[in-house]
Amino acid sequence: MRSLSIFNKSSTFDGIYVILMVNRLQLLYYFFILPMYLVYPYMIWGIIVMGVLSQFNIMLFSKWFSSVTSPKDYQGFVKLFGEPTVRIFAFLGWMIILVKITIITLSYIEIVHQFIFPGMNMNWLIFFIFLLTCYIAGHGMEKTIRFVVISFLLSVWMLLLFIPFYIPPIASLQDLLPIIPTEWPKDLWNKLVFLWSCYSGPELLVFMLPWLSPEQKILKYLTIANAFSVMEYVIVFVASLFFFGSNYLLISEFPVINMIRYLQSPVTERLDMIMISIHMIHFAFAASIFKLFLYGGARIVMGTWNKPSTLIGFMASCSLIFVCTIIVKETLWMEGTEENIGLMVEIGLGALTYLLVPSFLLMASKRRRRV
Amino acid sequence: MRQIKRALLGGLLSAILLITGCSPFVENNTIEEIAPVIFWFIKDGGEGKLNISTLVPPLIKEKKRLLSKNVELLKQGGKEFNLVYYRELKNGQLRMILINEELAKKGILSMIDTLLNDPNISQRLYVAIVDGNFSDYINSQLSQQANLDYFLYRMFKHYEDKHQGEMSIVNLHQFKNKLYTPFSDPILPVFKVDKNNFTYQGTAFFRHDKLIGKINKIDDEILQLINNDHYLKLLPLPELSVSIDHVRGNTYMKLNQDYSSLSFIVHLSGRIDEYRGNKNLHDYEDFLALNHEINAFLKKHTVDLLKKMQEWKVDPLEVGKHTLRPFKKSMSEKEWSNYWSKMNINVEYQIDLDPLKNMNQ
Repeated sequence: MRSLSIFNKSSTFDGIYVILMVNRLQLLYYFFILPMYLVYPYMIWGIIVMGVLSQFNIMLFSKWFSSVTSPKDYQGFVKLFGEPTVRIFAFLGWMIILVKITIITLSYIEIVHQFIFPGMNMNWLIFFIFLLTCYIAGHGMEKTIRFVVISFLLSVWMLLLFIPFYIPPIASLQDLLPIIPTEWPKDLWNKLVFLWSCYSGPELLVFMLPWLSPEQKILKYLTIANAFSVMEYVIVFVASLFFFGSNYLLISEFPVINMIRYLQSPVTERLDMIMISIHMIHFAFAASIFKLFLYGGARIVMGTWNKPSTLIGFMASCSLIFVCTIIVKETLWMEGTEENIGLMVEIGLGALTYLLVPSFLLMASKRRRRV
Repeated sequence: MRQIKRALLGGLLSAILLITGCSPFVENNTIEEIAPVIFWFIKDGGEGKLNISTLVPPLIKEKKRLLSKNVELLKQGGKEFNLVYYRELKNGQLRMILINEELAKKGILSMIDTLLNDPNISQRLYVAIVDGNFSDYINSQLSQQANLDYFLYRMFKHYEDKHQGEMSIVNLHQFKNKLYTPFSDPILPVFKVDKNNFTYQGTAFFRHDKLIGKINKIDDEILQLINNDHYLKLLPLPELSVSIDHVRGNTYMKLNQDYSSLSFIVHLSGRIDEYRGNKNLHDYEDFLALNHEINAFLKKHTVDLLKKMQEWKVDPLEVGKHTLRPFKKSMSEKEWSNYWSKMNINVEYQIDLDPLKNMNQ
């Protein structure tokens, strides 16, 4: 059987890759629907407060990362927890990533389907995306991590598109009033959980520890990434408040894309098409790195981590994702995001893992030191 | 070896897609077979139906004709045009939607929603109210003017882009945004149309999505001055035999504590451009008197305009937004409507006009 060099490690990645990866993983799909969930102007504070809390979480994480006892690869984890426990954790992580990749794929496909190819069967889109991400992931972990640079550079300029919305006459400061809440919305908890979930992403670094250079000041890089995400969320949210006003936001689906549609360009009228297509690069990065996580996770669960990775194993793991996505799409998925169970699950899982993973790891390594 | 494999794989994949006939791309966009639509004119078709018309073909040297259909649904109209015309009409270039006044009085929200929901249709679609039958105009002008529809679009675009404050041009998004923003009501431009002319008449006020009243001439000019662009290229006042140009109006609104009165101050600057009255404008006293007359005239008409808004219970000037405070709960729109309709209004004009130079005595 031919072996693949998917998980080979020839060099480690330094801070800049951490910044880009964390930032892109935080921004993934939520970027498009954030204004629709937050609606009220005073939720700007929500974004900022949650960003600060996320910063605390990041501090926990980096404390664990730079502590001497923290494991840096699979063997380290085995020493820390023992092999059976690691396999159980890997299985849990595997399930979570599977849910994540399925839902993110479906959410992105839904946007493409609605705005670009309404006549197309969604399964075809899923198939094309599947081929693309398999291709990227097939190049191995290192090249996929490097791909984040392309993904970042291609999608970060979209922030500039939101500047015109800050300029009158579309913008009037009154759209931001009341800036201090006079009464709390009923589902404030949902909104806060959603926001917390928006910042999840740093915990995924756990899966790529061997590829990160261990002696870096990770706190600094994570802070930059987090602050940048906060800024992006605020920019988008305020722009959408200026453009829609909160009452209109309440009833508009995919507000960000609708805003982009309003912009004029002498070359093309459908700026949204370009934006969605470019976002595909961003999505493809996330989906392919998740694919690699899944394959790696499966190998840990099956206990074959020390054997070389095989093409058949990789393809089987990828096909499982494809089948799973199609099944979810055919059975559970409901278009229209507000009551979408899948999205709820994704938000909940994201929030939960981000909350638990760093503190759990820190506790585990503390206990280990005491013993 | 690897390249051959890749080529084989790619070839196989496309063969699967093409041969089995399940190409995922189902819509045909061959350019020779489609034609864009530039405008739709919609009027009441009776019995709850809509009568929708468009002009084909746009921007091609071919004899034009007006298509007209009586339909229940807006998009159904779009489809039925295709049954009588040899090209497929696509809505991607839809630029204007002209709605008959009678229909607008019944409410236009469903149409606005339909158009906004279509990703192919730009949110910058111009919406206008037409008083009269636009089809008659098109039919009589077909032989005289080529590209009639395109010229109309250019006119809309010109007055939107240059912000000359001469027409209240409104697009789909602006309409819907004002509809949903509390303390503001949508407006649309009104055009008067008969067999020979298509002329701007004024502005229509909407309460929710229903046309409730329209204003024209001096009222409309004042609306442009105090709301739209705060600028008028030319403001002729025939009653006073004077015209003022480059008029700029800055508006300040102040509500008192219990929302019982509104002071409305307009700083107006401009230049007297023409005078045909019998005052001697070189004489300072006379110039002051003219200023005073202009002031009183504008004040009277502004009060009238605001009274009309109160009577119709509409607030296109967004006066209600001045009740918003950063730390305070905003009142409901109904509450505001009560205050607004009973409010006392003090209008004050502060005029700063340059006198006319180089004139005969």
